Amino acid sequence: MISLRGVSLVYPNGVRAIDGIDLEIGKGDFVFLVGHSGTGKSSLLRLLYREMTPSAGDITVDGIRVDRLRRSRIPALRRHLGVVFQDFKLLTDKTVWENVAFALQVTGAHTKDVMRQVPRCLDLVGLSHKSRMYPGELSGGEQQRAAIARALVNNPKILLCDEPTGNLDPANTTEIMDLLGRINLKGTTIVVATHNQAVVDRMRRRVIRLENGRVVTDEERGYYFLGLGQDQILSG
Amino acid sequence: MDWGKIKFFLGEVFRNFTRNAGMQATAIGTVAVTIVLLGAFLYVHASVAHLSGDVFSKITISTYMKPAATSAQLDAVRTALAKDERIATATFVPKKEGLKELSQRMKGQIDTSLFTENPLPDKFRVSVRDPQLVPAVAASIRKLPGVDTVEYGQDVVQRMLQVANVGRRVGIGIIALFVLVAGIIISNTIRLTVFARRREISIMQLVGATNMYIRMPFICEGLLDGILGACLAIGILAIARASLVPKLAAALPWVQINVVQIDISSLVLQLVVVGGAVGIIASWIAVGRFLRT
Ligand SMILES: Nc1ncnc2c1ncn2[C@@H]1O[C@H](COP(=O)(O)OP(=O)(O)OP(=O)(O)O)[C@@H](O)[C@H]1O
Ligand SMILES: [Mg+2]
Repeated sequence: MISLRGVSLVYPNGVRAIDGIDLEIGKGDFVFLVGHSGTGKSSLLRLLYREMTPSAGDITVDGIRVDRLRRSRIPALRRHLGVVFQDFKLLTDKTVWENVAFALQVTGAHTKDVMRQVPRCLDLVGLSHKSRMYPGELSGGEQQRAAIARALVNNPKILLCDEPTGNLDPANTTEIMDLLGRINLKGTTIVVATHNQAVVDRMRRRVIRLENGRVVTDEERGYYFLGLGQDQILSG
Repeated sequence: MDWGKIKFFLGEVFRNFTRNAGMQATAIGTVAVTIVLLGAFLYVHASVAHLSGDVFSKITISTYMKPAATSAQLDAVRTALAKDERIATATFVPKKEGLKELSQRMKGQIDTSLFTENPLPDKFRVSVRDPQLVPAVAASIRKLPGVDTVEYGQDVVQRMLQVANVGRRVGIGIIALFVLVAGIIISNTIRLTVFARRREISIMQLVGATNMYIRMPFICEGLLDGILGACLAIGILAIARASLVPKLAAALPWVQINVVQIDISSLVLQLVVVGGAVGIIASWIAVGRFLRT
């Protein structure tokens, strides 16, 4: 579903944020990207939705050669992806319903599709009853759920999340991660960049650890700290 | 027809348009000033062209043959004049007729019957299709064999042509300047809207809206600025015409202002098209700069 071969990214200021990464992520996988601040987690995600173009290497996402994509084809790629951020990126002057619908409307979707998909996604994230509220009237967790609904409204096969729980308290964090787990069960491939040890250790999913723009470990059922679960820390 | 889609789009345009009404009013006002100037210029230009057309159309080139010109030379000149594309008519006035004309014009002042010999040369009276070409045609006629002198009121014609050309150039220059200013102001207005909506634009890009789609509402906003400005200008021009023209006609009775029949509907159309085009181009540039980064 996602495949990187010898990918590097050097920012215009000369910072080498990604340094020769090879990676395969299968269909329906749930993957955590962990690592210290500044190791290139966000940069890696930016390469996948072609916010940045790699300086070297091949990137394939859902069959699309992202590194060679013409600028005019970028919108087509983005419609295959959902992206969620720490700061939600909701439009404050639109209601929840309008925010979710917006993602479809600006791609020229038919009204009947909007009327079908928006309620489906709001229902999925459990926000149907607050669809007429504005983001300012919602809790952080609810805002993130609205953002997830918006990311899902195009029926993407891949959901990219950059610290989706960074602004949330533990209760909301658990709620959002449970939601992502349920979405994953429906077959959506999910990549989550996170700093949240509790989340990673509780979910026990594939963990890809980055350091200085390189993959240092890649474990099937990993912990936030290498080979070290929270339970082990507590018992040890 | 997908009314939901249209409603959403128009809603976006309307929100853009009302977001900074002050800037929008400035843009519309500048377009209006520009188009009032343009309209006035076109109107005055048409009037002047009409008036000067009258004068210019009366310009003829008098081609005087040498007294010793042979009849072969005369024929050569006649055919040369007939062949010249720039010449509308060329009438031959033999010296006998010239004398008759002279005696009629000068009745009571000169008694032509006293002449023992006809002092006048043969001449051709030549009228030219385009008054601008008079000097050039005159110059080429002068080179023909047997031609003595050529007269067409050189000084006056040259001066009139110069004045007309300078007037036109100054007018076009001023209007070009104002079109530029209007374009820049619309462009800045749109850029403010784009800036106010940069979050929305980045989200649109994130969820896969095409640049064309992102551009559209802004282009419509520019178009709206241009067209509203043009409509305002047309209103002002209509009032000005209704109130000024009768006064002018009274003040300058010898200038036949009302004779000028401009096709008003095509003028209105032209002005609206100019306004709309300025709006579209200016907003295209404004959004383009933002989307490229
Ligand atoms: N737009 C940019 N221009 C230049 N350098 C950048 C840019 N964005 C990130 N970097 C640099 O690239 C490196 C990787 O940054 P990145 O944001 O990918 O890290 P991260 O792992 O997401 O960190 P965090 O956990 O703090 O979010 C850092 O050294 C950062 O300074
Ligand atoms: Mg980051």
